[in-house]
Amino acid sequence: MSKRKMYLRMITASLLRRRSRMLIALLSIGIGATILSGLVTIYYDVPRQMSAQFRNYGANMILLPEDGVQLTRDRVEQAMAAIPGDSLVGATPYRYVRLDMVSRQQSFTTAGTDFEQVQKTSPYFHVEGRYPEGRREILVGKEVAGTIGVRVGGNMELTYKPAVMADAQDLAAQRVPGALLGGSAEGYNTALVYVSARLDDEGKIAAVEVDASLQTEEFGGRCAEPEFTNRFIGKTLPLTLGEDVDAMSGATVTSEAVVQALNTAVRTEKAVTAADRTINFTVTGILETGGEEEAYAFISLADMDAMTGEAGKLDVTELSVSATQEQLDAYVQAVADEDAGVAARLVKRVTRSETTVLGKLQALVFLVTAVVLLLTMICVSTTMMAVVSERRREIGLRKALGASDNSIRGEFLGEGMFLGLLGGVLGALLGFVFAQVVSVNVFGSSIMFQPLLLPIAVAVSMAVAAASCLLPIRRAVAIDPALVLKGE
Amino acid sequence: MSLLELKNVSKIYGDLKALDNVSIHVDKGEWVAIMGPSGSGKSTMMNIIGCMDKPSLGEVLLDGVDISKESSKKLTDIRRDKIGLIFQQFHMVNYLTAVENIMVSQYYHSMPDEQEALEALGRVGLRERARHLPSQLSGGEQQRVCVARALINHPELILADEPTGNLDETNENIVLDLFAQLHREGTTLIVVTHDPEVAEAAQRTIVLEHGRVAREIINENFGK
Repeated sequence: MSKRKMYLRMITASLLRRRSRMLIALLSIGIGATILSGLVTIYYDVPRQMSAQFRNYGANMILLPEDGVQLTRDRVEQAMAAIPGDSLVGATPYRYVRLDMVSRQQSFTTAGTDFEQVQKTSPYFHVEGRYPEGRREILVGKEVAGTIGVRVGGNMELTYKPAVMADAQDLAAQRVPGALLGGSAEGYNTALVYVSARLDDEGKIAAVEVDASLQTEEFGGRCAEPEFTNRFIGKTLPLTLGEDVDAMSGATVTSEAVVQALNTAVRTEKAVTAADRTINFTVTGILETGGEEEAYAFISLADMDAMTGEAGKLDVTELSVSATQEQLDAYVQAVADEDAGVAARLVKRVTRSETTVLGKLQALVFLVTAVVLLLTMICVSTTMMAVVSERRREIGLRKALGASDNSIRGEFLGEGMFLGLLGGVLGALLGFVFAQVVSVNVFGSSIMFQPLLLPIAVAVSMAVAAASCLLPIRRAVAIDPALVLKGE
Repeated sequence: MSLLELKNVSKIYGDLKALDNVSIHVDKGEWVAIMGPSGSGKSTMMNIIGCMDKPSLGEVLLDGVDISKESSKKLTDIRRDKIGLIFQQFHMVNYLTAVENIMVSQYYHSMPDEQEALEALGRVGLRERARHLPSQLSGGEQQRVCVARALINHPELILADEPTGNLDETNENIVLDLFAQLHREGTTLIVVTHDPEVAEAAQRTIVLEHGRVAREIINENFGK
């Protein structure tokens, strides 16, 4: 039998045949290794876990149009190809316009959006009632609801008035030959009048349609009749009532509105009527966020497209991406590389605090790990110390039989490291269970097993066990072999 | 030819002279008993002969080499190579089997050889108890294992400290018979004891009193 074989035989016999004592040492190493590997697992999984947690605090990236580009759903879709689908928590498109209430002189900013995505990117939104689910449903910010006195279940009729372009040059640019123009203006009692006009090849008015259905029927309503609309044919914009065109008798206010609507009309794809531009919404919920969103109302993109007549237009898209700071930076670059006319920006408020909190949390876990290691070392060291005093006679005997100091060192170190090996394997496996339990209870999600952790946990616990044995070994070496002769 | 020679050896602890100018010699192949009451210096002499302590004064020649000035590391080497120890308390490694206990001695000396260890156990009549732990062996059996362990490396000298002190008469006789057998084979034996019967088994008895050699008794009846 070789010396090495005998060495292993002695060590294993010592551990296996002296179970109770060694079980305590094994337990302390095992528990230490368990907590160690558990904490390290958590340490490495924390960014992933916390990243998911942080997604509850809102979007961390927004997509904006580059200068001079109109953001559209197509562009956003193209840009989002740069972001891996599995890290994308949600993507919410927003189109902001001002909508007017038909029945009174009130207007507020309304966002067309996708409510399913809103709930993903802004999980903290609190809705009294429910989110809109279909067409003609509206979610009203608390502030708006207070101003106009609307409640869940109530109705509000909203209408879209294309923005009036104040710049005469910009307006002139709209009046290209053959274009279809659309516009609106306030008529009698501030109710809107809608017009659309087709220009001929020379840029003169070829046809005019007026939707005066919101005006008093027997007065302003007559402005929709050909008797009035034909008066515009062959004229060149802009017009002045009374000079270029005569007002409809008994409907001066509405006539004035038609002229003004034509003068401010912009190019459109299809003639928009009052029926299209006006929707009677049902309020499904009141939104409380504590933020500026309370001053807005939210409708579906489908309704928004119908009301504006501008399908696919967006102003911004909010993204919630589960990723580290470095990954986010990479995605920003990747979006730019897509060349979709879209620029990604990080919401610094969110990403910065994420990074800070993560750093602090990891530092905390690191500290706890270090403390646990130290405690394990003290525990193992104490146990080994007890083992040495318990085995004084045996050590004395070995020395009397001719064991050198190095043999004694080797044997105790061997026992310690063997314990470390067993404890490390035990700890690495139990540690995963421990991490899993912590993760499920604290973060509410399961953890990924790190295969690399097994050898690391084993190596660390062997090293800790060896280090813990140093002091006990010094004691063992100092034992006088003569003690075996004294008949103790 | 002398294997062991103590020349004017003294061991002084403060004011106490545990050994006071002692000179003895033991020939190769001789069987010597060292006797004396408690405090006579037996243990101190045993420690010095067993290379576990050094004298304050004097020379100790073992196999012609002066071991009185050696370092404790060197003494460990000498003890391992030349001396087989037997103790009153048996002293086995309690988690190793009988044969493994013998192999421990081989392990520190040179190479563990299970076959040889089993043969040694056979010599002391415990071949079939080889796989038993010390707790499964009687006191006499344990001491016989210790005798087997002491001879396994073929030492120049077997040094026994009260080898029968914890044994009943039957086992005492078995151990003494083993000693007699070893003596016949030419092994040098030094047995420290306070039991006159054990001392009478030896060829010569050195009696210590107050750290000095009081007298030497030659056993006229030896071998009869």
